[in-house]
Amino acid sequence: MIDRRAWLPFSVVAAAMVIAWQAGVVSMRQQALVPYPVGVVEAAVRTVKDGSLLTATANSLVRVLVGFGIGALFGIPLGVVMGFVRPVGRALGPIVDSLRSIAPIAWIPMALLWLGIRGNAALFIVAYAAFFPFVINAAQGARLIDRNLVNAARALGAGRALVLRAVVLPSALPAILAGARISMAFAWGSIIAAELAMGIKVTSGTSGAVGLGQLMVSTLYVRRDVNALVLYMIVIGVISLFIDLAMRRLQRSLTPWGHS
Amino acid sequence: MNAKIEARSVSKTYVSSRTGERVEALHDVSFSLQPHEFVSIVGPSGGGKSTLLSLVAGFVAPSAGEVLEDGARITGPDPRRGVVFQDYALFPWRTVLGNVEFGPLARGASREAMRATAQRYIDLVGLAGFEQRYPHELSGGMRQRCALARLLANEPDVWLMDEPLAAVDLQTRNILQDELLRLWGDGEERTQRRAVLFVTHGIDEAVYLSDRVLVLGRRPGRIKEVVTIDLPRPRTSLRNSAAAGRHIDFIWGLIRDEATRAIVEESA
Repeated sequence: MIDRRAWLPFSVVAAAMVIAWQAGVVSMRQQALVPYPVGVVEAAVRTVKDGSLLTATANSLVRVLVGFGIGALFGIPLGVVMGFVRPVGRALGPIVDSLRSIAPIAWIPMALLWLGIRGNAALFIVAYAAFFPFVINAAQGARLIDRNLVNAARALGAGRALVLRAVVLPSALPAILAGARISMAFAWGSIIAAELAMGIKVTSGTSGAVGLGQLMVSTLYVRRDVNALVLYMIVIGVISLFIDLAMRRLQRSLTPWGHS
Repeated sequence: MNAKIEARSVSKTYVSSRTGERVEALHDVSFSLQPHEFVSIVGPSGGGKSTLLSLVAGFVAPSAGEVLEDGARITGPDPRRGVVFQDYALFPWRTVLGNVEFGPLARGASREAMRATAQRYIDLVGLAGFEQRYPHELSGGMRQRCALARLLANEPDVWLMDEPLAAVDLQTRNILQDELLRLWGDGEERTQRRAVLFVTHGIDEAVYLSDRVLVLGRRPGRIKEVVTIDLPRPRTSLRNSAAAGRHIDFIWGLIRDEATRAIVEESA
């Protein structure tokens, strides 16, 4: 992530920026709408103590992981078959492409209408966002398979099912895992958007499980706490950083043959 | 005696999906492979050697004519006909053991039987101690042995080999040729041997290994000559004999002109 030799200069620059930020805000007259470092730290201490930050983070993360899982469950098999069985790919490719061009957050009104605000709508949005990178990459990986490997498996007695499972799938795995990283980024990006949109209704009535997005909405409209908003943004950023690191590590450990 | 493999007036035409251009890779090819017989296919580039092997393997269907195994028409790949590919086609995500186990796995062997069979052939080709290595961790010669063990683990009646020794250095190649002969049964009773169809660029290799050599011509690929190699077996001491040299010179004489033209045409 950061080069070892870069730690010292990085820390110096980061510390200088934080100090300059704090000093700049202190010297201003109007402070109500401007966040500042000490305030962000205070907000962190407060929200960790009352548990709201951890609960919301956990709720959002669970939705992302479940949605990601649903996306993988449908996306990988569909993509592998589309890539390996050419007629299926030709038939479904245009449909997938046109659905893909609809941004996941454009589904939010429909999702709210069908699934309500208790969290399933957000789950749907996340699964939808995660689904397409899985399909696209699995199809690409399966399409580019070395036909000699398929022939080798068939000559050893493998039927179609075994070829798909034991040759096409592992062959496409590096591409699938690259897609998984994109899926995860999409999922995490769209959960915040979905929860933001749902949050407005949550605060006005029935409460679903509050995620980071809903927490931001209530912080914005109820508490008007800009420091807490910045805190949530930082949390969101740090989590996506760790998710990407974890995905990269997963990629390396699941495809040991690809990293000689 | 009934032929193990028989090709009857086989032609194969490829149509380019991009340009629609038709290329006749093989024209009216007939030959037979007897049980226990080692037959090599040599010829210039573009002579359809690999196409012929793919037809026998069942990977592609002939445009005309038919290919038979034990008198029955070949319609697709079958584990009784084992294949070794030029680039080995080992599964990169499987270890040596996993690759060799694939055949027994595909045919539904139990876990124990699968393991025992694989281990026996890994030992036989001299890969003991490397069971847990991935293909990319092996030298070219070891990959070749792994591919051979994978073929043997299925105990096929016919071995189809597509330039299996093209990618290793000359010394390794000589060693692997001798090992191949040993595994095939060069020093044993004729009936212990399997039928082998062996594609190669190396005329010396073809002469050293084979009972008969099919010499193909190019554009379109067709059989020019079938040369019987009457050298006694085992052949270990005959690698550089005068008799072998005469066969090599004769076959090279059949191929030279077309091979020369192939160089020019393929660079054009």
